[in-house]
Amino acid sequence: MALVRRAAAQIAEDQPSGDLVDGQERWVADLASADASIRRRAAHDLSQMPDAVPMLCAHLANERSLSVRSIILTGLIVNKSPAVVTGLLPFLGSEDANLRNGAIEALQHMPDEVAPHVVSMLADEDSDVRIFAVNVLAALPHPMVPEWLLQVVLHDPHVNVCAAAQDALVEAGEPDVIPALEALADRFPGVAFIQFAVDAAIRRIRGG
Amino acid sequence: MDTNTPLAQTDPVISDEEFSRFCEFFYRKTGILFDTQKKYFAERRITDRMHKLGCATFRNYFAAVRFEASGEEMQHLVNQMTVNETYFFREDYQLKALVDGILPDLAARRNNGKPIRIWSVPCSSGEEPYSLAIYILENWADADRHDIEILASDIDSAILAAAAAGVYGERSLQRLSPDLIRRYFTKQRDRSYRISNDIRDSIDFSRGNVVDPQFMRQFRAVDVIFCRNMLIYFDDQSRRETIEAMYDCMSPGGYICLGHSESMSRISSLFRPRKYADSIVYQKPFE
Repeated sequence: MALVRRAAAQIAEDQPSGDLVDGQERWVADLASADASIRRRAAHDLSQMPDAVPMLCAHLANERSLSVRSIILTGLIVNKSPAVVTGLLPFLGSEDANLRNGAIEALQHMPDEVAPHVVSMLADEDSDVRIFAVNVLAALPHPMVPEWLLQVVLHDPHVNVCAAAQDALVEAGEPDVIPALEALADRFPGVAFIQFAVDAAIRRIRGG
Repeated sequence: MDTNTPLAQTDPVISDEEFSRFCEFFYRKTGILFDTQKKYFAERRITDRMHKLGCATFRNYFAAVRFEASGEEMQHLVNQMTVNETYFFREDYQLKALVDGILPDLAARRNNGKPIRIWSVPCSSGEEPYSLAIYILENWADADRHDIEILASDIDSAILAAAAAGVYGERSLQRLSPDLIRRYFTKQRDRSYRISNDIRDSIDFSRGNVVDPQFMRQFRAVDVIFCRNMLIYFDDQSRRETIEAMYDCMSPGGYICLGHSESMSRISSLFRPRKYADSIVYQKPFE
């Protein structure tokens, strides 16, 4: 028969015995390994240690392997803290789309830790960073999100930032956002896609 | 509450527009899509949850689901919307993908005589791992040329004991032909069916939790993971952690098969989608 039986416990015994040696110094050294699987293991173990957060965030910026990045971000999500948010926020301005999107997704898992930073995120002088901040809010499970997005729609000077916020705001679909949407259309009278998007959103909220 | 009772006059009303918005949101979060035929099914369950939470309007309820930090209500809703049933040859298009695409690909790359390792997790009462064994023996022409290990795990010791016993009612066997039943099962006096000893003894059953790192470290060099209809019940964080742990369990170029309503793209970008037969499966890169 082609089927053979092997116990899971036996598979574990087949692993190299040095595999489970622990220790922070070893993990830090392993983070520089040329072998991505060793870096993954080191990143996973280091992510259990709160004082390793700055090091892991710094490593993220240089890490080329998507699988190592991914396990660092997962570890940071699991051990979310104000320090993690502080370490991830600079990546909203990264030119590396994978890293930036990974940071956005990770921040969306930390509503309470992100909340104190929202106002400053939305006040960044770079409109691209403000768009990515709105992207964070779009899936942030926090009761203040509609209000934050409303303020962007009402006051942000950049049309693309407003469009991103309008998009996210409409999903919640409260009729009381309609005056803000009308005001947005008035603020950008010559921008056809805003006029179209606002009309469509209002129609949708009213159920028309 | 009986979910089959018709909507009462006092039930909250969900407008078409609200339902459409909900469907978009639910699809984005879970990959589960409700077409118009499923509208009543979904509405019924939403209104049940609204009653339980005391929400008078859908708008209030949707805000709770959408913005609640714990995600607890979202999980309640997912549990309501998914149906947990298992039987032999369930979602057999994935079994076809296994023998038509995945196993030939693995075999073509295998020149070291090592076994092909398949892991069914969660294995529930055993229908899935036994289905894998039967389907491979019946449908993969090269089955005799390779050693194939099938591992099966579940968190529930009672269900695992039932899996190891391998005794099933007629309902579980409804997708099997009489010929397969005759060759792989023995009918018991109580009209149940016992799986053959050869098949039963070829599978290693183990109890454990996929979010326990110690448990997951037992599994290495796994070529194919069948992880169907489990992650849908996890929160985002646990889902992500589990997929990361499974990545480490797998051989480079190994595959994960998820349930029909689950999509890896909503969990992780680590894996590459591959299409075999009528099935999308996910392959670990050769990093």
